[in-house]
Amino acid sequence: MKPLNFAILKYFTSGVEACRADVQEALKAEYSGFRAFKDKAMDEALMTAASNGLIEESRLDLDENGNLVIYYKALEDGIAAINSYIKD
Amino acid sequence: MTERAVSAPAGALEAKKKMEKSFRIKGIFIALMSGFLYGGYTAFMTQGMSTGVWGEWYGVASGLSAFAVVYTLSAVGAAVNDICSAVWSIIYAAIIGRLGDFGRSLKSKPGVILIIAAIIGGPLASTAYVVGLQMAGSIIIPIAALNAAIGAIIGRAVYKQKLSGGMILGIVICFGAAVLIGSTGFSGGTGFNVTTIIGIIAGFCAALGWGIEGAVGGYACCMVDYEVAIVIRQCTSGIANGVILVSILSLIGGDGIGSGIALVGQALTDAPSVWMFFIGGVFASFSFKFWYKGASMCGAALGMGCNGTYAFWGPVWCLVVCGLIFGVDGYAIPWQGWVGAVIMVIGIVILAISQDKASKEA
Repeated sequence: MKPLNFAILKYFTSGVEACRADVQEALKAEYSGFRAFKDKAMDEALMTAASNGLIEESRLDLDENGNLVIYYKALEDGIAAINSYIKD
Repeated sequence: MTERAVSAPAGALEAKKKMEKSFRIKGIFIALMSGFLYGGYTAFMTQGMSTGVWGEWYGVASGLSAFAVVYTLSAVGAAVNDICSAVWSIIYAAIIGRLGDFGRSLKSKPGVILIIAAIIGGPLASTAYVVGLQMAGSIIIPIAALNAAIGAIIGRAVYKQKLSGGMILGIVICFGAAVLIGSTGFSGGTGFNVTTIIGIIAGFCAALGWGIEGAVGGYACCMVDYEVAIVIRQCTSGIANGVILVSILSLIGGDGIGSGIALVGQALTDAPSVWMFFIGGVFASFSFKFWYKGASMCGAALGMGCNGTYAFWGPVWCLVVCGLIFGVDGYAIPWQGWVGAVIMVIGIVILAISQDKASKEA
């Protein structure tokens, strides 16, 4: 089992576009019990990864309640960087 | 984060700008807190190192060699603080449910990078700083303050972070302010000889070590949770200082290889002083994790620029803790300290605004 942050980043190495809820959905089986799995902490982890160029914002949307949904995607450089630091 | 054209429905862009702004403000606040809390760490460690058994060690009848009094005791102080800080960091990580990820991260590449960064910035840079102070005097204080500039350069060169002209100006102003604050400690007349030059080189090595640690540790925190990173940092530094460094120093000083570890053991069981080291350790834990976290959220240049306020908060905390609470004389802050603080704020504002502009232009 990887640390949660590693799992979040690794999830993007398939090139998938995903918002925070998508990442949570994909990782919930293993990580839903983690305290850092909460929305706010997950948002911050994604924004930190984005501000360091590992992933990028690809699209913005609003959910049915009018809340902001940010979609992220890892580009070639980001995928290479993630894979070089985090092995399978 | 950049503001490239991303498709967005009405209202989403506004909401994102708001979210980005709060992320940014939080990053700057955390980075500033790292400098503020560093002052608390400095003050409690300073007070701890003059209380209880430490009073005897630094006294005339200490029985320690001159080398041990100057070098080994500094390392013992750092070691006791880091060990207390490591204990606190582990307890805190357990409370907030991060201990599992600590074990899992340790064996990973970012985990190893954090361990190396901690050794470079912990025992190596701190020892270089003490050696520099001893050999060249306080002239090395401003040299060591170059660490923020070095961190910014590393962030630019290695991690391709933004570094515009305005940001460089902000860093230069912050550096100037740190020099002004540190200038009150300058002792003239050390002369310029080989010893001074070696001391200055040592001071530069300290700046380099801290610059590397801030930039590398900050970047690693976009992969390793900062609550996990701090446990790795303090455990590494505690073991490296408390076992390896003090042993090497006692060997060099001719006091016998085991004497350093014995001093650490004595200090850890010295009731009158160890609680101060524990409080100092709690401050150190928060200060260092906010240093990493700030650099990971704002980039090394702005994160370390904000952290540089420790040059001002150190004397302020020493004035409050050592001067006002424990009644020790000699901690009054001269005018250079206050003026330097104002200049530093100006530097940070320029740095922050320039970075904001540079990221929007990208």
